[in-house]
Amino acid sequence: MEIFDFGSLDFAPFILSFKLAGLTTLILFVLSLPLAWYLSQTNSKTKPILEAVTALPIVLPPSVLGFYILVVLSPNSAVGGFFEDLLGVKLVFSFTGLVVASCFYSLPFMVQPLQSGFESLNKHMLEASYLAGKSKLQTLLKIALPNIKPSLITALIITFAHTVGEFGVVLMVGGSIPGETKVASVAIYEMVEVMEYGKAHIYSALMVLMSFIVLLAVYIFNHTQRKIGVL
Amino acid sequence: MIQIDIHKNLHGSQGDMDLDVKLEIQKGEFIALMGESGSGKTTLLRVLAGLEKAEGDIRVEDVYWLKKQKMLPPQQREIGFVFQDYALFENMSVEENLLYVNNDKVLVKKLLQMTELNRLAKRNVKSLSGGQKQRVSLCRAMMNKPKLLLMDEPLSALDPAMRTKLQDEILKLHKTFGTTTIMVSHDTDVSYNLADRILVLDHGKIVADGTPQEILLKTSTITYTLCI
Amino acid sequence: MKKMAFILLLSLAKVSAGEITIAVAANVSYAIEALKKEFNAAYPQTQVQVILGSSGKLTAQIKHDAPYGLFMSANMKYPEALYSEKIAVTEPVVYAQGALAFLSVKDQNYTVGMNILESQEIKKIAIANPQTAPYGVAAAEALKNAGLYEALKEKFVYGESISQTVTYATTAADIGLVAKSSLLSPQMSEYKENIHWSDVDETLYTPINQGMVILKKGEGNPEVKAFYDFMLSGKAKEILKNFGYKVE
Repeated sequence: MEIFDFGSLDFAPFILSFKLAGLTTLILFVLSLPLAWYLSQTNSKTKPILEAVTALPIVLPPSVLGFYILVVLSPNSAVGGFFEDLLGVKLVFSFTGLVVASCFYSLPFMVQPLQSGFESLNKHMLEASYLAGKSKLQTLLKIALPNIKPSLITALIITFAHTVGEFGVVLMVGGSIPGETKVASVAIYEMVEVMEYGKAHIYSALMVLMSFIVLLAVYIFNHTQRKIGVL
Repeated sequence: MIQIDIHKNLHGSQGDMDLDVKLEIQKGEFIALMGESGSGKTTLLRVLAGLEKAEGDIRVEDVYWLKKQKMLPPQQREIGFVFQDYALFENMSVEENLLYVNNDKVLVKKLLQMTELNRLAKRNVKSLSGGQKQRVSLCRAMMNKPKLLLMDEPLSALDPAMRTKLQDEILKLHKTFGTTTIMVSHDTDVSYNLADRILVLDHGKIVADGTPQEILLKTSTITYTLCI
Repeated sequence: MKKMAFILLLSLAKVSAGEITIAVAANVSYAIEALKKEFNAAYPQTQVQVILGSSGKLTAQIKHDAPYGLFMSANMKYPEALYSEKIAVTEPVVYAQGALAFLSVKDQNYTVGMNILESQEIKKIAIANPQTAPYGVAAAEALKNAGLYEALKEKFVYGESISQTVTYATTAADIGLVAKSSLLSPQMSEYKENIHWSDVDETLYTPINQGMVILKKGEGNPEVKAFYDFMLSGKAKEILKNFGYKVE
């Protein structure tokens, strides 16, 4: 095994991966909360359609998803052109583009645990809140959400982890630009391609270690909250 | 005064039936709503609370809670509801459950003292016993000084000792606040002790309406109510 | 007795007409169908299984015992590495020289050559990743020789293979430096020379010598040898020329 010079380690891909995962998780949480709540409370006929659409990113191969995002958000297309020409926002080959793509890719992983959590809530408890004069929004924020802490934690963790591990979509939509879209998974892939296996091993080990620390921290937090009796 | 004239199609455990209820309730009355399982008692309560749709009219003093099919949302009806499964807010303490409804700290103190829960005020509700939870549920229902208190079999899950204690507290609260009350109950003793009027529901229709003495003591209705 | 001989002959025939698996670099994917067809005209019994990929990925697979009989790379470096490790059993030979071309979905004024990349209208330039793809190396070289590499660095997006670079060039990038062979395939017929695509000045980059080797797994297999010889024959060279390669 070659002696590896840790000074030459480029941390940019790791920082990018965690930045991407963090931002995506945050944005998806805000977007998914109303959707998951709506799906859990409604009996409308459009519910199965909405649920199927939300679940699509799970079944679509990442490279296919990446390709379609590339085509739809390209500056040559109607949508991408609008954003780039009128708003100056680049949706492909940019970090912003990766965030958008990741939000599509990881959407079901945020929505489904939240929806599941809401659906298992005691309906009477929610009704008691309405009878206390609270709106649906107040009920969501003050009663529903605080009572699904385990589902919430699951949703956040899985979305974060899923985005960190993202590869096919990022490869397609990102263009592997160092410091902007070359995330850890892509960097490691390229090291394997050029047969720099030593480097690939080190980077992979670091990736696993960092992710493990993040996950461990969350699970410990979850556990202590449970002990206190808050959960 | 509360005037009720409602109609609803039900698909219940006894098959399809129509809930057809027309009655008048005076302010301060304590009504026990009795009848077989599946006769529509809980549904009637939920319709009054605005938790389920129905056609017809519900008039409370001068306000229409239901007019033809136009429903006033539950948020705007001044109702207290005691659910059979308590339905407390499990992320909050006893105190917080009450303050959530109404930030009136004085009322909270008063209610907790009346139901002897003052020492448990800061405890999270998940750690309480069944009897304690039911008392919290009762207090919470009273917090917004409701025009109508609805209780769905509030004592059925409790042991006999607790049941007696809670009956006393319900009576105490009713004497203090004079809230118009409708309580669903299977228990003739409880109904006799608490109510000044009994309604019997069968297949969605009121088949008996009178004082506890009239309904529960008359020989002909004894047979009927003993079958319940 | 006659029956026995007949069955034996039949089984022998089955044994000799088989399947060969060849690993082919991405840039050859456009020409490979035509090449296969021509080969099968002379050897109809041989089924040619083509495995496409970037040269780097294929080499990694070959090093780990992938069941390929022949490897057609996009450069000489990978075949030479395999030969020195004795995983390839023939010395690498050049079967074609690749060429670079510009490709864009919009009409471009190619008379200005390389300088077209400096235009304000060109915001994103797709090139194959110089670290992993030989055509990327050539593209980077051409850009450096034209003195534009540093100035335009901000505009680059890197395709992990030459085929992904083509995808970028035809979707979200404004222009790309791709393998000329990709432009001459039937699927790309809507792109016209000098309007959408144009040759990159070949003096700007070292010729992309593409090397071929027979691998250990194909050693002694007459059909693999047949394909190898075919690739170096006049007929194959004709086809490769039609796809924009330079041949001896």
